[in-house]
Amino acid sequence: MVLFLLAVVALAAMPWWAKTGTIRMVLELCCYIAVAQMWNMLAGYAGLVSVGQQAFMGAAGYALFVLAQTFGVNPFLAIFIALLVPAFLAVPCYMLLHRLDGPYFAIGTWVVAEVFRLVASNMGFLNAGAGMSLNVMKEYSLFERNVAMSLLCALLILLTIGGSYWFLRSRYGLALIAMRDNPVAAASQGVNVRRLRFMIYVAAAVGCGLAGAVYAMAQLRINPPSAFDPMWANVAIFIVMVGGIASIEGVLIGSLIYFIADRWFGQYGASYFVVLGVMTVFVALYARGGIWGAVSKRWDVHWFPIRRHLVYTPEEKP
Amino acid sequence: MQWFDALIQGILLGGMYAQYALGMALMFGVMRIVNVSHGDLVILLSLIGISLASNFGWGPFTVMVALVPLAIALGWLLQKVVLNKVVGDDPLPSLIATFGLSIALQNMMLQIWSANSRSLPGGGIESQSIQIGGIYVGLLPVLVLTFATALTWGLDLVLKRTRFGRSLRAASADVEAASMSGINARAVYASATAIAVGILGFAAVFQSLRSTVAPADGGAQLIYAFEAVIIGGMGSVWGAFIGSMVLGVSQAIGFRIDPGFGVLAGHLVFLLVLAIRPQGLFGKV
Amino acid sequence: MTVLSTHGLVARYGDFQALYGVDIDVAEGEAVALIGANGAGKSTFLRSIMGLMAVKPEMVRLDGQPIGGTPTDRMVQKGVAIVPEGRRLFTGMSVDDNLRVAMDQADRLGRTGGWSLERLHRLFPILKEKARTEVQNLSGGQQQMVSIGRALLSQPRVLLCDEISLGLAPKVIREIYAALPEIRAQGTAIIVVEQDVGLAQSASDRIFCLLEGRVTLTGASSAITREQIAGAYFGGSHAVV
Repeated sequence: MVLFLLAVVALAAMPWWAKTGTIRMVLELCCYIAVAQMWNMLAGYAGLVSVGQQAFMGAAGYALFVLAQTFGVNPFLAIFIALLVPAFLAVPCYMLLHRLDGPYFAIGTWVVAEVFRLVASNMGFLNAGAGMSLNVMKEYSLFERNVAMSLLCALLILLTIGGSYWFLRSRYGLALIAMRDNPVAAASQGVNVRRLRFMIYVAAAVGCGLAGAVYAMAQLRINPPSAFDPMWANVAIFIVMVGGIASIEGVLIGSLIYFIADRWFGQYGASYFVVLGVMTVFVALYARGGIWGAVSKRWDVHWFPIRRHLVYTPEEKP
Repeated sequence: MQWFDALIQGILLGGMYAQYALGMALMFGVMRIVNVSHGDLVILLSLIGISLASNFGWGPFTVMVALVPLAIALGWLLQKVVLNKVVGDDPLPSLIATFGLSIALQNMMLQIWSANSRSLPGGGIESQSIQIGGIYVGLLPVLVLTFATALTWGLDLVLKRTRFGRSLRAASADVEAASMSGINARAVYASATAIAVGILGFAAVFQSLRSTVAPADGGAQLIYAFEAVIIGGMGSVWGAFIGSMVLGVSQAIGFRIDPGFGVLAGHLVFLLVLAIRPQGLFGKV
Repeated sequence: MTVLSTHGLVARYGDFQALYGVDIDVAEGEAVALIGANGAGKSTFLRSIMGLMAVKPEMVRLDGQPIGGTPTDRMVQKGVAIVPEGRRLFTGMSVDDNLRVAMDQADRLGRTGGWSLERLHRLFPILKEKARTEVQNLSGGQQQMVSIGRALLSQPRVLLCDEISLGLAPKVIREIYAALPEIRAQGTAIIVVEQDVGLAQSASDRIFCLLEGRVTLTGASSAITREQIAGAYFGGSHAVV
């Protein structure tokens, strides 16, 4: 826990110890972690398997560009206002999608992402297929931008990882874990399963939206294929499944593995993705808990102790 | 006249989608599994078919004769190696396994066949057209629709009238009770997937005859199959067939309004059905 | 001649042990009843025999051969059939199709015996009348008849009946229980799990009472008294009559 807070501070202080290139790489890693953790909350805890979170990433990214570029809102303020867009869009999406049974829900989320992408491609307001540039960023110096990106990285991690952790340790989190283990029993214990799922869906949309907006801001350009890139679903699923589903540790491990693998083997292109795909199949067939599942089973260690022990402690710090 | 033409084109397009949707409806009905690599399998089979045709100079129907048994074998293998291990109450393992398979297949195809679009030479049938009631329609789309109708009709008959069909329906109603009646669920599952993928053997030939295929196209085919099944309503193969027609017509009409709107119109009709009739047009509540 | 027997049958759901060494046997043409309170392990016992719970091979014997843990469909092939708790019919399928599923499989598995659709129709005439009706539209009693018919068409040597009177009107229960003698006359051994003690006593040759996963009373149905059953049902010492 202390390590986590130190990490967040280190992220925020990046401009004073890291080069611009490093900051960009760390930013990418932070986006992986954030998106993967949101997917983990959905699939690992709420039982909602989504392959379309890129819908909200793109929506928030576009909202940021429209606010900052078209309406001249300060981009660092715009990025927060932009988060309202995925939040509002998530509500009707969930209303429709929750009617779909288990695996069909997943494909439904993909359709929604496709709809978002196609709508963006057809809207003249968003400059259609050509996309938009965030020229207003040129008004800031490189150092100013580095400071901003670093703070956003820190915030992204604080909100997604810290937020998830806080949520899982809260009253709702306990209910959620009860729900994951046995939805029927949880419902009969007075846990409002439907409302909880809805809340997580919206929260995950906002979390992914922030990651999407930060990523788009760093890229300075946005267009429909990149904003609504299904690659994010692949990345999130790989990270969470290989790292270990239903654990924050798993997401961190998975993200690091993916990030390093991408740096080392990304040059091999297709064959690298074949290996990733086969690994995902392998995990689904033989090692559902992923790496962290195997580690924690063996040594019973937890960096983020979500399970409560019967010993009463007034403070929840480790 | 223009709209009537769009309607006809849409129905013919629906014939193509029906060939994807049947297998998906069958697998979901029996095992509650959605095979995310469904579309990628169509593309894989298409590319194999194209390679066969160019290497041996085979015509499209010879390719079909070779491809369908191959597809059946592929389906059986898929069930034995992957799906039998993930079938169960929890939808996550089967989704993840087939999702991983989809990524692996797509990229494997990319390596073998490169990202280029290819198509199957049809020896002229792709450009022939016939006149029906004052409208010229392509011979190939009519052939596609005919095959789709025959496949739907055949599958429906198999499900209703045969021993295998009864065990399939029994297993989809209650798999434990089915085993109490002596049904070997895994054998039934393997046959269901073999049939589902086998139908894709037909779809692959037609898909690569009527347009081009590239390794990355699988996702779209999966989505169309899925939309058709949901629009039509789960639980009946004719539902999937009609759903495919509705999807095809929506896309064709959308395309007439604006070429960029075609696919989107299909998605919107799907969302509309989900909003006002979530059980699908022909589904039971 | 004993057909089916269990020997120290132990079964568990995860950490919870449901059966603690149960020994029960049934002979050709015999009917035994298994009684006990809710949660005593009666259904678990039947599920263990049917291969729906993990048990060791030697814990269940058919004709003396160890068969415990055999997959359910293979148990049917060996001649054990079950009328499951809650009937478990194939919804969306007609009465005829439900029955045909069992006939198909008996045929496939090479099981022969005295049961045919015609004979079943004589036993439960309503099934002929409702042949084309989808099973979810039948009354509870009719559904139970389909479920029994489906099990019989597997041509079983041992028939397991799990609470076949549950939720039915007394008249319907009598009608269903009236079919048991004809089934036994075939040489089929029957194990009935029953909540209604009086019904269990009248329909069986021997009774086994289960309490918390153990047999607490065994004896001839005609010789057992109400007091003995009450004692075995709610606890006390193991009594053999």
